[in-house]
Amino acid sequence: MKRKTKNNIAGYCFLAPALLIFLFMVALPVVISLGLAFTKWNFFSGLEGIKFVGFDNFIKLFTRDRSFKGALLNTFVYAIATVPVTVFAALILAHVLNGKVYGQRFFRLAFFIPYISNMVALGAIFKFLFRSDGPVNAILANWFHVEKVPGWLSDSGLTRIPIICVMVYAGIGFCLIVYIAALKNVPTDLYEASAIDGASPVKQFFKITVPMISPTTFYLLVVRLISAFQIFAAINIISDGGKNSGSVSLVVMIYDEAFKQYNFGYASAIAWVLVVFILVITLINFKAQKHWVYY
Amino acid sequence: MKKHISIEKILLTCLVGVGAAVFLLPLLWMLSSSFKTSMQVFASPFRWLEENVRWKNYLEVWTSPDVPFWRSIVNSLIVSIVSLAGQLVISSMAAFAFAKIPFKGRNVLFMMMLVTMMIPVQALIIPRYMVFYQLKVYDTLWSMILPNLFSVTSIFLLRQFYMGLPDELVEAALIDGAGYFRIWLKVMMPLTKNGLISTAILAFISSWNEYLSALVFLPSSENYTIALTIRWYIYDTAQQYNLAMCAAASAIIPIVIIYVTAQKYFEDGIAVSAVKG
Repeated sequence: MKRKTKNNIAGYCFLAPALLIFLFMVALPVVISLGLAFTKWNFFSGLEGIKFVGFDNFIKLFTRDRSFKGALLNTFVYAIATVPVTVFAALILAHVLNGKVYGQRFFRLAFFIPYISNMVALGAIFKFLFRSDGPVNAILANWFHVEKVPGWLSDSGLTRIPIICVMVYAGIGFCLIVYIAALKNVPTDLYEASAIDGASPVKQFFKITVPMISPTTFYLLVVRLISAFQIFAAINIISDGGKNSGSVSLVVMIYDEAFKQYNFGYASAIAWVLVVFILVITLINFKAQKHWVYY
Repeated sequence: MKKHISIEKILLTCLVGVGAAVFLLPLLWMLSSSFKTSMQVFASPFRWLEENVRWKNYLEVWTSPDVPFWRSIVNSLIVSIVSLAGQLVISSMAAFAFAKIPFKGRNVLFMMMLVTMMIPVQALIIPRYMVFYQLKVYDTLWSMILPNLFSVTSIFLLRQFYMGLPDELVEAALIDGAGYFRIWLKVMMPLTKNGLISTAILAFISSWNEYLSALVFLPSSENYTIALTIRWYIYDTAQQYNLAMCAAASAIIPIVIIYVTAQKYFEDGIAVSAVKG
């Protein structure tokens, strides 16, 4: 047998298990879900109940569905409120932890534990912390003398605050570990040379560190944005409001439509809005990187 | 310069220390609450430790007649370990093919898989539900395991490790008459041990903490994973905050122990996955 044929056979043999699962768990669902997005179908009405409706689902979403507007807005809010803060805080922390403090290993541990903790567990903790009679309000009342403490969980718009807090809390550790690894790769002679030229540490940070690790920052922004758009556990645990609450996001709406009302067609349409949303934001990210990422 | 203790360093340590304390406080609050009675959790004035520490909260949660935590642990372990073992073997084989075997259509297939990384699981979960419902996999642990067997992240991560090994290694073994399967098993697998461990840990954590699929696919309480059991306590009408915090602590502590013992592999895995390929 020729080497080339042999390689082809071997390649596909090695790939076969992965490809099989990929086809049934990813590729096929993508096709089905795309098809469903153009139908009106309640799962329990059986296969006969499927009705092809063209773009009706999307038209309804953008013109008539009032919770969709809120969901779209909140999906943005969660991402914008969490990702820049998380990435920036992680960068500062990584910079400081990189040889400027004692007990680095302990600090890495402290900041990283939330990232590996179960989001439902963290959500439960934050839900209790932010109760009207919980520790957060106790601190506000006793230390800061706030007279009328907010009802974080009862006011549906305010519920977004504990959700955002837990997202930042759980996200920093990941970014921190990535940044620490990236900082180790910045050549030290750059710092030594600039120190001789009289550059201050602050100037070194902004003129050497930030540009040198800009590819890492870019990676983190892309990855964290994508995961922020998909956050579900925190919202579901902390607010459990469903699609009419003030904390609703696209993902919560998909879950609500699909697995509370079983409107599989409509839910699939929302899912594809989310897909396009993520694609567009990621593309914008890749376009924008040319202006600030140095390789 | 290096010898003396720098004041600046001490100050910075204190500053970061405050940040770390803020990060640890919610977890300490969880631990503290898990040893209280339900009434004491939100009692004022607040006390970190009550006079009688209620260890039996844990006993109650772990052996509860409704949703015993031990069973959720077993369920989560089954899901995580089977997913992990399957995912590692399957991903390692695929990564080896993508990195070291020059076959037709390799790049197209790899790109196709990478693109699907952008598709959120929420878009796939509805069809998966339909498929599982048909195959009678719905409401069994398999519905959590099957999707986990394929992971682009793991394939990508392991491919990075294989790419780091010289091609000559494979060529030499081929000339010596070894087949690809033997090369993968005997030469490559041992050399990518660190990569496998890192991938394994990350895969374990992600299936251990999985929530949405569990919520959708596992309605019966005997199949509850730990995430669902914690949720059960939050929405339990009895409002046993102390027990909810027990369950949360029982879910977090094992992961922290794994992390402390394998910190290096954790951090390597995350760092490598972040290096652009």
